Amino acid sequence: MARSVWKGPFVDGFMLTKAEKARSSGRNEIIKIWSRRSTILPQFVGLTFGVYNGHKFLPVQVNENMVGHKFGEFSPTRTFTGHAADKKAKRG
Amino acid sequence: MADTRILMGVVGRPHGVRGLVHVHSYTAEPADLARYNPLLDDAGRAWSLAWRGEGVAELRDAAGRPVADRNQAERLVNARLYVDRARLPKPDAEEFYLADLVGLEARDAAGLRLGQVAAVHDYGAGTSLEIERAALSPVIVPFTRDAVPDVDVASGYVTVVPPSEIELREAAG
Repeated sequence: MARSVWKGPFVDGFMLTKAEKARSSGRNEIIKIWSRRSTILPQFVGLTFGVYNGHKFLPVQVNENMVGHKFGEFSPTRTFTGHAADKKAKRG
Repeated sequence: MADTRILMGVVGRPHGVRGLVHVHSYTAEPADLARYNPLLDDAGRAWSLAWRGEGVAELRDAAGRPVADRNQAERLVNARLYVDRARLPKPDAEEFYLADLVGLEARDAAGLRLGQVAAVHDYGAGTSLEIERAALSPVIVPFTRDAVPDVDVASGYVTVVPPSEIELREAAG
């Protein structure tokens, strides 16, 4: 069942203040978080979070397309890296 | 030879009685496996692959003879198919093959060894490199110009400048 619209998106409150501090500092920091349940808000765009997956903190570089999703969606708890073959990675 | 070969796929079970086989392609686009013909197996034999259906392929040997029947196809089950690294097309600027990145030595800004690139992660939120360190837990850095300013595949190293980290826990109570 979908969450009621009047409540707004869920986000752990402490993340808002810390993210704002990280943004104003202007430093390129990874913000390590355990809150996989928090919704990605527009004010997080451009920041990099290290989202805990129960084992390690995976870097999540937030962009516009991720707004509305949960942080946990980008830090899978079960991973299969597969085979490299001809797959490529682009440096951001 | 093993160092320069890249695993591109594996032959699966036979399909029908005319020598067709299922092939598990590991390429980014599975159908692209046929573009890398000829493919080499573990014994060094060359095979030419042509898709005949969804995941089903016809294999021909170096002389152009197709796999004749199901019995012959069964002998190919689990055969690994490789191509030489030199045959992969040159990647675009700022693009790197995962096969090139994994195994590179990671150095810090001063040139001292940090560890080795163990894996490349991409789960839809940017690519990151996992650096395995001796006697220390692995470190994962975003694959950006800031964190990985230098990638020298030919010399076998990447320069890594791990960004500082701040922890964000919910206050107790």
